[in-house]
Amino acid sequence: MSIAEPADLDAPAPSLPWWRRLVHDPAAFVALIVLTIVVLCAILAPLISPHDPYASSRAVMQPPVWSDRGAWLHPLGTDGQGRDILSRIFYGTRLTLLIGLVSVGLGGVLGSLLGLLAAFRPRLDPWVMRLVDVMLSFPAILLGLALVAVFGPGAIPVMIALAIATVPDCARIARSIAVSVMKQEYIEAGRAVGLSDLALFTRYLLRNCISSILIFISLRFGQIILIGAALSFLGLGAKPPQAELGMMAAQGRDFLLFAPHIAVIPSVMIFVIVLAANVLGDALRDVLDPRLRS
Amino acid sequence: MMTLVLNRLIISVPVLFGVLLLGFGLLILVPGDPAIVMAGPMATPEVVAAIRTEMGLDEPVLTQFFRYLGRMAEGDLGRSLISNKTVISELGAAIGPTTELMVACLIWSIPLGIALGTLAAVWRGSITDRAIMAFSVAGVSLPIFFICLMLIHFVGVQWRLLPFIGRGGPLWTMDGLRHIALPALSLGLIFIGPVARMTRSSVLEVLRLDHVRTARAKGLSEPRVILRHGLRNALIPVVTLVGLQAGYLLGGAVVTESIFSYPGIGRLAVGAILSSDFPLAQGAILILALAFILINLIVDVLYALLDPRVQTP
Repeated sequence: MSIAEPADLDAPAPSLPWWRRLVHDPAAFVALIVLTIVVLCAILAPLISPHDPYASSRAVMQPPVWSDRGAWLHPLGTDGQGRDILSRIFYGTRLTLLIGLVSVGLGGVLGSLLGLLAAFRPRLDPWVMRLVDVMLSFPAILLGLALVAVFGPGAIPVMIALAIATVPDCARIARSIAVSVMKQEYIEAGRAVGLSDLALFTRYLLRNCISSILIFISLRFGQIILIGAALSFLGLGAKPPQAELGMMAAQGRDFLLFAPHIAVIPSVMIFVIVLAANVLGDALRDVLDPRLRS
Repeated sequence: MMTLVLNRLIISVPVLFGVLLLGFGLLILVPGDPAIVMAGPMATPEVVAAIRTEMGLDEPVLTQFFRYLGRMAEGDLGRSLISNKTVISELGAAIGPTTELMVACLIWSIPLGIALGTLAAVWRGSITDRAIMAFSVAGVSLPIFFICLMLIHFVGVQWRLLPFIGRGGPLWTMDGLRHIALPALSLGLIFIGPVARMTRSSVLEVLRLDHVRTARAKGLSEPRVILRHGLRNALIPVVTLVGLQAGYLLGGAVVTESIFSYPGIGRLAVGAILSSDFPLAQGAILILALAFILINLIVDVLYALLDPRVQTP
């Protein structure tokens, strides 16, 4: 969601530490476990993959193990070229998560710095905000299309586009949080005791804004993953033979009639990742920083 | 009212300039010689040289930019490398279908999203509320291509209920409606979630305001309180949401059109990029960016109409 929602009244009273409250929310707890497993699968892909994700075998379009013709050799079956889907899912998750993390990370850092600077140096504020307004008028997918048009399809143009698309939203949120932090007395006190600007910025401003910014970024993560996967699905992102979840779904499109699992499994994986990220982001926001809602 | 529209138009100028700069940047940044790219892989050296002089590529970048702006103002976007038709005519043929798709998507998804969000707010904490919110989180988490593929698989192929390739004709014909049904359904499904969520929290916010309490105290019936005093005020943030999510919607349209082979701007853009049809890709991206600016302009004006407190932005 790119817009802050009005406050919900019945937020739980903040008596327990934040992580206890998070774990007490069953949905958030499940989401946390799911995301942990997904990230582990992505990191450990080379170790836990039963087969080479790029090697074809003669078993083409073999269904997953739970259907009649399935076999344990390929637990999730094989794709149109006889490649093991389970292994490709591990590697695909790796690339999909990497695209999401790099874009959100790069864009988040750049956007937060812009926003914090705007609040810290009011003279810069109008300029930064104008820049943000212009950047906001380029939707992520358009930037993606434009960069891919120039540099050709690939994971890197997509990452750059998604990073640029993350900057303006993040700058706006960071600025609005930082403006309220700048009004606090401890900033005044820091100035009074003669702290340098750099110390004031890093020790007081940055530290007090960082958690809210991180929550906002976690809420964006799901959307970024979806756009990245959509671009790869269209053939504009990751290039074959790389495994990427969106691209794997696209490759399954031609076999939808005889072997629907080839398209369905990677799509479900994306859904699970994004759903878990969204649920966890929402819960984190409610628990840690209800300010972002209002 | 007029001042507001004027103000918004003035703010759009730098944005428009940015969009044009982007289009120009696409031409300048492309690796290799733009003249060779514009001429296509089969062109002879003479053609390339002619294009180079025609485009003024030997002149300073700033001169080139003004020349480019001049050509834009005349509506000259070059010719498609594949079909050799002018880019403007290709775009012109695709704008109608994309607009139809947007209308067909919004016309059912916004009212349904608002209705679901209101129900969730009124019965807050109930099973209905939880179900609606779960549905909306699931909706924003589903990859749109998955929705499209599933609709094609079940509705199109297995049950043979609706066609799933191309466009049947204008929206007001039976065939046009049948062809647009599945793309509009897919696109709408990803849009209901955000609308329902926004409506719910907005209605919750409004329902605790004084005027709603007064309306209840007057003895108005509950549906009347909610519809007349609650929903009407709660809709303002929802309108902004539509503007903010316009980019999301355009992105969804790019994917949906590509999957359903629906002849709109999105499919045109993807096809042009994949086939390195450079002038067409540039034109399609420019048109999409313009559409985005226009939608936000309309939303801002609507916002002012709905909320008399907004005078100048």
